[in-house]
Amino acid sequence: MAHETERDVHHPTFKQYLLIAMILFAITIVEFLLIWDRVGIQDDLGATKIPLLVGLSVVKFYIVIMFYMHLRFDNKLFTRIFLGGLFLAFLVGLALLGLFTAMNGDQRSYALDRAIPYDEHAETQKVAEATTAETEKPPVAAGPVAITVGAKGDELAFDTDSLTADSGAEVTITFTNPSTVNTHNLVIVEAGTKDAVATDGTAAGPANNWVPPGDSRVIVNTILIGPGESGEVTFTAPAPGAYQFVCTFPGHNFTMFGNFVVN
Amino acid sequence: MAHAAEHEYTTTGLSNRKMLMWVFLGSDCLFFGALIATYMVYRGQSLVGPYPVDIISVPVTTISTFVLLMSSFAMVQALAATNADNKRAIVGWLLATAFLGSIFIGFQIFEFNSFKNEGLTLAGNLFGATFFTLTGFHGAHVTLGIIWLLCMAVLGAKGRLGPGTALDVEILGLYWHFVDIVWIVIFTLLYLIGGFDAGPVALPGG
Repeated sequence: MAHETERDVHHPTFKQYLLIAMILFAITIVEFLLIWDRVGIQDDLGATKIPLLVGLSVVKFYIVIMFYMHLRFDNKLFTRIFLGGLFLAFLVGLALLGLFTAMNGDQRSYALDRAIPYDEHAETQKVAEATTAETEKPPVAAGPVAITVGAKGDELAFDTDSLTADSGAEVTITFTNPSTVNTHNLVIVEAGTKDAVATDGTAAGPANNWVPPGDSRVIVNTILIGPGESGEVTFTAPAPGAYQFVCTFPGHNFTMFGNFVVN
Repeated sequence: MAHAAEHEYTTTGLSNRKMLMWVFLGSDCLFFGALIATYMVYRGQSLVGPYPVDIISVPVTTISTFVLLMSSFAMVQALAATNADNKRAIVGWLLATAFLGSIFIGFQIFEFNSFKNEGLTLAGNLFGATFFTLTGFHGAHVTLGIIWLLCMAVLGAKGRLGPGTALDVEILGLYWHFVDIVWIVIFTLLYLIGGFDAGPVALPGG
């Protein structure tokens, strides 16, 4: 077993192991000294300290795998297998970071655009149910008004064909999509323009929620609401008159629309 | 050397069990890599507190990091004692490793508990969700290691460990050191660098 004996000869001695342990301790102390004056302070540490801290931990990582896990003295195949896994782990990390930061730009604004206020949501829905379920009459109050609209199951239709509001009132429309397959939006447009807006929306693409950006015919629109999701949009009801609400998802506008009347 | 007893014939000429451990550790890199990446993706994205800067105590965790590093030193001594066939030292170092690992877990329980009391929960915000998932899985690895160490110490106390079974101790050591290096990464990213993070700077309409 010459191979085994040879390996044992190269194994570090007690003193060497102790030295390695002390080096690891020393690095940890240096790391701590680098940041200890910032404890309890909100800070991003600056551009010099972060690479330094990452570098020091890489050194520690290296020392442990090379000496404590004796990769330095062992067969190279073990090193390759381990570093292979580590490399793949880095790829996974980069892919995730890329997915969330590069492709959507700023993930904060992305999240905020799609955020649904959780607490208020339940209340507005209750109020809205009480108002619409009984009469479907225009709300009397000129103050903030809550309206709930849903898609009709998996059909390409809204569950109501008429909505009303008082001009100048602050209206919050909560749109729920109970469908298991279809994605919808809710766009309020000037009377008689629903199909033209939908055609232009198709050209604008899903990145614009299938709504032509900056179009004067569009009063307000929700973002795309996926199956089982809901979203809301708040706006000031426009001048009295006739308007339409429509889903501009390509093809839906022919059956999925209704009248929006402002008194 | 008394290795003749476990002379294995394998296609690589290397111990299959040791190979298995290295393959496992390589795959475990992916497991922790995904959790760490998730933490980094959501870093600083929590909309409500508590934020890391409110609750992370770097000095306390530096101490527990020392303890875990020390346990790795005890682990290599346990392997050295096994190769030297020093029966009492084997048990002593294995128990020392398990003890230091337990202190680390004690620190983690203390930390989790105080974080919980300060309002950080798994479902409360993104920081809590990613922090507890990552450090919790690391803690689970350490706990498993402690159980393994104690089982090995029992074998050692029965006099069943020695140069002929050094591979058993070596494989345990690989696992234990891996848990240590994962913590080196977590400590750097979540505490030394991420411990000063707060919430969003400005929330539109907030």
